[in-house]
Amino acid sequence: MTNQGFRRGRVYGVMVAMGLVGAGLIVQLIRVQFGPYAPVFDARERAGNARSERVRPARGLIYDRDGVLLATNGTMYYIEIEVRQLTETSRKEIASVLSKLLVLPVDDLYAQLTYEWAANGQFRIRLTRDDPLLGRLPIRLDTTVATVLKEFLADPLAPDMTGLDLVPTSQRHYPNGPLAGHILGIVNQEGEGFFGVEGYYDDWLSGKAITVERTFLPPDARLEPDPPAGVNLVLTIDADIQQLAEIALSEAIDESESESGQIIVMDPRNGEILAMAAWPTLDPNDYEPWLVKAEDDESAITPAVAAQYEPGSTFKVVTMASALSAGAVQPNDVFVDTGLIEVGGVPIRNWDYGAWGPQTMIGCMRYSLNVCLAWVSSQKLGASTFYNYLTEFGVGQLTGIDLAGEVAGQLRTPRHPEWTESDLGTNAFGQGVSVTPIQLITAAAAVANGGVMVQPHVVLEVASPQGTYRPRSVVLGRPVSPEAAQTLTGMLAESLEGETRQAAVVGYQLAGKTGTAQIPGEKGYDPKWTIASFVGWGPLPDPQFIVLVRLDRPKSSPWGSVVAAPVFQEVVERLVVYLDLPPSPAVPMAAGG
Amino acid sequence: MRQARTQAFRQAPWRIARQSTGRTLLGLVVVLVVAGMYLAVNARLAEAGRELLRLEDRREELIRETSVLGATLADLTTPNRMLERAASMGFHPAHAKDIEYLVIEGYAPPSGFHAPAPIGSPVAQRGGLSPAYTETLAEWMVRLVEEVRGVR
Repeated sequence: MTNQGFRRGRVYGVMVAMGLVGAGLIVQLIRVQFGPYAPVFDARERAGNARSERVRPARGLIYDRDGVLLATNGTMYYIEIEVRQLTETSRKEIASVLSKLLVLPVDDLYAQLTYEWAANGQFRIRLTRDDPLLGRLPIRLDTTVATVLKEFLADPLAPDMTGLDLVPTSQRHYPNGPLAGHILGIVNQEGEGFFGVEGYYDDWLSGKAITVERTFLPPDARLEPDPPAGVNLVLTIDADIQQLAEIALSEAIDESESESGQIIVMDPRNGEILAMAAWPTLDPNDYEPWLVKAEDDESAITPAVAAQYEPGSTFKVVTMASALSAGAVQPNDVFVDTGLIEVGGVPIRNWDYGAWGPQTMIGCMRYSLNVCLAWVSSQKLGASTFYNYLTEFGVGQLTGIDLAGEVAGQLRTPRHPEWTESDLGTNAFGQGVSVTPIQLITAAAAVANGGVMVQPHVVLEVASPQGTYRPRSVVLGRPVSPEAAQTLTGMLAESLEGETRQAAVVGYQLAGKTGTAQIPGEKGYDPKWTIASFVGWGPLPDPQFIVLVRLDRPKSSPWGSVVAAPVFQEVVERLVVYLDLPPSPAVPMAAGG
Repeated sequence: MRQARTQAFRQAPWRIARQSTGRTLLGLVVVLVVAGMYLAVNARLAEAGRELLRLEDRREELIRETSVLGATLADLTTPNRMLERAASMGFHPAHAKDIEYLVIEGYAPPSGFHAPAPIGSPVAQRGGLSPAYTETLAEWMVRLVEEVRGVR
């Protein structure tokens, strides 16, 4: 080849190379303009060089007092479809694969994939499923199924799933399932908390969403700030004690064939709730059925703070504490029980319709005599003093516990237009007055705590990016004197050792009171069903726990002493182990020995 | 000197052409160098931007993975599972009568659990960017002077 020919060849070579590059560019331009991804590029071009995005921080975690994780955040995936990328093949194969993986009707999926969304201006849709209770809900995938689908998307030999996109989203997860579900509350798919701790502390847990500009141009990329994070919470709940209470309650429900029930365990010294069990149990991971229940009964999700009831004889603790504190009666004062007393023209009888003869106040409490307590309230205390004490005990008022949905209960005082004098007699033994379980245990805790009533609470510590905060215990009041509280505790301890031995625990001195309450209806009190309960505390003389057991409509026996007292015993037998409370007396030993 | 130079250009006019060509080329070289530097800086910026976007995505993915792993760990250590595992190993819940208590004077129980601070905080608290990436030349000089004077 001549020198000139070689030069010419070189020139042609360069021209061919440049021509190929130019042709490649043209092909790419055509592909971008008219290829399968053209709508995506078009949408991106229309959106500009950046898009505003609302960024939510991860919801705060919830721990029990020992660090057991009660609520955390998992990842779920929504299935989104870029409708303009769908092909006839991918429509069929997406519907087929999802139907098999998720056990969903293929026709429903295919109908969503073939619908003319673009005609309605919708180019990206989220696939949904039909829920028999709640209608259409977005399909959510867990990480396992999402991983399988991602592998399909990445594998060229897998079914054609062009147009399918998996969008990760945070999902509240409760590792313990139904454990403490009624305390925790629920979080919906939008990340909003309702009921319980999730509802009460929703603003704190959810943090603050911010809007950031997400650029598509790499040179404009900036380090975006994180949204202000939600706080982490440590609850006063002890997961082990909670589990113990839930197991005991479940067994009691089975044995007594009760309709529902609650157990609350609290430290009377500082108002910390150690356990709050409720039956039927609520699994916050699967809360949808409870939303339907809550439509009929608002108290269904948080019964311990919202399910008010007439407490029956457990309320005599409040009446007798008031009378002792006012100096209206002494423990050994004698009342001659004839089996009937009239207050405001209404006859009041004992639970067994019997006459118990001469009884001291200790006997009145031991045998739970309605007539005696009605005599105390109506003839020894009087309406003004009696209702002042009830108000001091917080009856008919919110306790202020940090759980969403608390209700105040109902108390008619003489100022109330519907109050009658007979209320003075019936209220003394817990009829005609409504309380919530948390109200009753808070009032009884005042007696256990030497007359000091402390606000119940479930949050022990709040951890935020700025630091850690421990709420202090709040004293709600001193409804009765320390002497009256101590005297009544002694009376109830004596009665527990005598009549209520089903609640006694060997090695521990305890005080407590049974309750068997009738259930009011539109046509008076239900003749068949009762609410059986027991409230007790210990170990004396320095109580460190108080336990309330409530069983609704037990079938095996209507009496609190038969169905509720043994549950108290079962709980306390295990509770003293968890709380490291030795039976008295313990042997002192030198440190390091 | 000036006269001699004028005379030289008169005798050989191609020298004028060569001078203007030289100036043009010099200008062109300067423009090319500046353009090249601009291109290089922008290419680096784009590369860093892509890396930043990639790392942001990766960070979000890792936070999600951490969250999933934390949830899995919590699932495996729930009190219920631990109770089942203990039962399968032959243990049973202790009752007060099974336990011998000893009061040890001077014993201090371990302090309670404290929750970790939540993940995620403003950029400034993450360490942020070095001033070298954000300050202007004037700000840099002021900072330098203040450092020399020992103000900071």
